[in-house]
Amino acid sequence: MNSTKDSIEQQIIALLVSYLAPRWEADPQARTEVTGATNLTSDLTLDSFQVMEFLMEIEDALDIAVDMNSLSDVHTVSDLATVVARRVNA
Amino acid sequence: MALLDKFAAVAAIRAGLNTSSHDPTQVVIGTIISATEGIVEGRHTILAGTNNYLGLTFDPACIAAGQNALATQGSGTTGSRMANGSYATHAALEQELADFYEMPYGMVFSTGYAANLGTLAALLTPGDAVLLDADAHASLYDGCRMSGAEIFRFKHNDVVSLEKRLQRLGERAENCLIVTEGLYSVLGDCAPLRQIVEVAERFGAKLLVDEAHSLGAYGDHGRGVAEAEGVLDRVDFVVGTFSKSLGAMGGFCVSPHAELKLFRYVSRPFIFTASSSPSIIATTREALRQLVARPELRQTLWRNARQLYQGVQSIGFTTGPEVSPVVAVRIGEKEAALQCWNRLLELGIYVNLMIPPASPDSSSYLRCSVSAAHTTAQMETILEAFRQLRQN
Repeated sequence: MNSTKDSIEQQIIALLVSYLAPRWEADPQARTEVTGATNLTSDLTLDSFQVMEFLMEIEDALDIAVDMNSLSDVHTVSDLATVVARRVNA
Repeated sequence: MALLDKFAAVAAIRAGLNTSSHDPTQVVIGTIISATEGIVEGRHTILAGTNNYLGLTFDPACIAAGQNALATQGSGTTGSRMANGSYATHAALEQELADFYEMPYGMVFSTGYAANLGTLAALLTPGDAVLLDADAHASLYDGCRMSGAEIFRFKHNDVVSLEKRLQRLGERAENCLIVTEGLYSVLGDCAPLRQIVEVAERFGAKLLVDEAHSLGAYGDHGRGVAEAEGVLDRVDFVVGTFSKSLGAMGGFCVSPHAELKLFRYVSRPFIFTASSSPSIIATTREALRQLVARPELRQTLWRNARQLYQGVQSIGFTTGPEVSPVVAVRIGEKEAALQCWNRLLELGIYVNLMIPPASPDSSSYLRCSVSAAHTTAQMETILEAFRQLRQN
């Protein structure tokens, strides 16, 4: 059964909140609402290395393989969900 | 955004590094005195961040070989080997490297960066899959990117993470390449190559190991971590550099696969780069001879590595996970690391400052590289400087 992009986006948001929890604990001011429109770098201040690290978390959580080349056009959580949905439904 | 506007961000990062007395990206060694000493800002300084693991940069035999080549073969080759032809010494070095590794084929590049770029860009094409250790050197990332292959990262030195990704690739795993290093240059930790080789063989994948920081330091013959782990004959491609233990400039790939002979026809970083000058080739060949003939250099290197690693731990610092010629001292926050780095320089000790994202775990480190040429007294001076850091 195909997973919808919306359901994958919700899973990614849950994973992202968990990934960011230690940082938010150390700096409560940094805590912010995460939605599909959230920009990974400008809103969450993740650098490119951290985005790649987070991608590995998604791969392990969903048991998929996502090549890092596909991150080149990813800016928002929604962009990331599109890439991941493509792999989940491949 | 205008073409040049992006440099505002670069300028801001640089300004952040320049808040204290010295800019770690702008250190000038005014006079180089020896393999382990220089004059920095008029101050006698012990160099403990130069990757000069065997201390061969001032070796008299290497210098004589370079001087002779300069006098008899000229200052440069003025072009690429593909266009201008190879000198006999380029081919001789390739054979000597192949012999050193007990592999049939060798290829020399003009820099270590070009060796990784040129090997990976020749080996991989779009549609191929490559599994890359997350902490791999930028040159390995760039080579994979340049090839157009699909890049899958696995967690650093995590064999389970590698295995999971191979499983997810399904049938493609059989035709993929795994890329790892021998010794990782920031924390000084070694890859679990025996386990990685076993996983690679189980899935039918090929394995490339970068021994840039481990050549000369690991293994009974100094061939690197793959030799030390007893799996060198099960590695498909070994790449490395001449600019660390061999004290020169350049890089190489050796392999049991005859196809390596064909890489030079498709490897753009090889085809479109001027070949190494005769003096560089000559000093490299002599340094390789020294590496083979003088195993005591390796013993001294390890004695010094143990002294520094255990010494900074006993002072109370947290280090990388294992004793190695790279001693990473964890400081934590970037600002504190910058202050400590400055203080060490004022005390006449040069080390490397590693801050995120160049450091692997969001912490900042003072990275020391140990040399066989460091004297016991110099090691004590370095440790005394770390003691002063701790007291402050």
